[in-house]
Amino acid sequence: MINNDQKRQLSEILGATGKTLGITKAQYEAAVASYQFVGDWLCRPGSPLAPFHPEILPQGSFLLGTMNQPVHTDDDMDVDLVCRIDGKLPWWAQVDLKNAVGDWLKAHGTLKKMLDKEGRRCWTLLYRESVRFHMDILPAIVANNFKVLLEKAMSESDTSKIAELAIRITDRHLSNYRTVVNPDFWLKSNPFGYAIWFKQRSAVTRYKIFTLNEAVQPVPAYEEDRSPLQQVVLILKRHRDIMFNGDADKPISIIITTLAALAYNGEDDIFDALNNVVSGVERFIVNRYDPVQQRTIKWIANPVNQEENFADKWVAEPQKQANFYRWLQQVKDDIASIVQRHGGLPLIKEGLSRMFGETQMNEAFAAMGDQALKTRVSGGLKMAAGTGMLSEFGRTPVTHHNNFGSNE
Amino acid sequence: MSRISLIHQEGALRSYFPESTIIRRGEEELIWIGDITPSPLSETYRVKLHYRKGHFINVYVIGRKLTLARGKTKLPHVYSTPKQQLCLYYPKGNEWHPGLFYVHSLIPWASEWLYHYEIWVATGTWRGGGIDHEKVEEEKDQ
Repeated sequence: MINNDQKRQLSEILGATGKTLGITKAQYEAAVASYQFVGDWLCRPGSPLAPFHPEILPQGSFLLGTMNQPVHTDDDMDVDLVCRIDGKLPWWAQVDLKNAVGDWLKAHGTLKKMLDKEGRRCWTLLYRESVRFHMDILPAIVANNFKVLLEKAMSESDTSKIAELAIRITDRHLSNYRTVVNPDFWLKSNPFGYAIWFKQRSAVTRYKIFTLNEAVQPVPAYEEDRSPLQQVVLILKRHRDIMFNGDADKPISIIITTLAALAYNGEDDIFDALNNVVSGVERFIVNRYDPVQQRTIKWIANPVNQEENFADKWVAEPQKQANFYRWLQQVKDDIASIVQRHGGLPLIKEGLSRMFGETQMNEAFAAMGDQALKTRVSGGLKMAAGTGMLSEFGRTPVTHHNNFGSNE
Repeated sequence: MSRISLIHQEGALRSYFPESTIIRRGEEELIWIGDITPSPLSETYRVKLHYRKGHFINVYVIGRKLTLARGKTKLPHVYSTPKQQLCLYYPKGNEWHPGLFYVHSLIPWASEWLYHYEIWVATGTWRGGGIDHEKVEEEKDQ
């Protein structure tokens, strides 16, 4: 077992790891600039959407601050966006809204070239410049009072407003795609409600009051210091990415993110948070009797819509369920093995490299070295008596000196 | 600053590291051998500090051969890789002088070296700062 000092250091290591797993500020800014460009184009006079004040808003991991660096540098990042409009022409069915967005994107020479083939619910733009990513744009209609709702302050105990943030989206596979003009009968989704729920779950200090606006913004602030929950999600998704290396049946991000947020208990220590999440997530996968299947199935409820099962695909594709449990066991085993490693930081780094990738771990450990040097230069590094251990609480400061000699 | 006598150095060493071995011959020579664990998850290293009158103080890692980072042939910031003798201060600066207690200078510096040594083995890059021998030579030539 490990002692408290060792645990603290593991948290420091995991914190440095979490930092390297998220997207960089440059990647973040490139994505924002790109989707703002699209947003501006959709508002342009002449656009069939302009009267309905279209706005491009991020959703998913980009909005949650849990977007991972791709495993291979030439892999794409996925940026999920909502093209939100606050009304439509009365005779528009889903197909008309979808095409209005698609046609106007095609009316722009550059965007037309980037447009991928039409998706079930989205239009996808492929960016192939210095930063590679694709943007899934989900056309959606929002309630009239959407902005008003966002302005309202709310506390954790008041989640009644969340359901009202649901948006109506289009789906080519639905039978009413071409016919029904009343959006109340279109498919419902609530990515912004989910983001608010996630932000509430992220809070280290409970009962914090914040406005809905803080969680849902056209340009969410780039978070240099991510919350423990955000870091845990980044760590778990990265572990999944490495373990499944492109396998289409890997555990999906929304399941990992939701379970982590449910099991997270406000721990401000990342090692504690990760441990508690990993040992606690199974509690939130419930068995429900399914009358159609006539058997018990696994149910991972969407926290902002209990009737939506994030694990619905596990029924038809049982390998997805098996993979999820195999992955969860692997994460547990890997954490246990890190704790048991004796052989100094190099051996710990080697174990973490297998879980998260060599480049990221080199970066994380180098950052810890830089931080230790910075702390020493500023006079904050101290040495304990007895062990000679360095920390911010030792008996004597590590004073100014220059290591001499060749650094090779 | 006036020189600290070896008897006082010994007292400070014993106070900080009661478990360590200290051999002192009057004011002529002092050998300290102690175990240092630079960070909670680090290995424990045996460090030897050796003072002889009229010589520089030498600091070594003893009792085990230090692993090198992948692809490297020498330890960073040492006088000698085979002897594992650490270079902890810039001799031309005034960083070290006999008016300093070992426990306030060379030993914390050695612990810090060991921490950065582990980072170096893990990553292949030295992050602990310092002055490069070769760079000093280059600057002299200019």
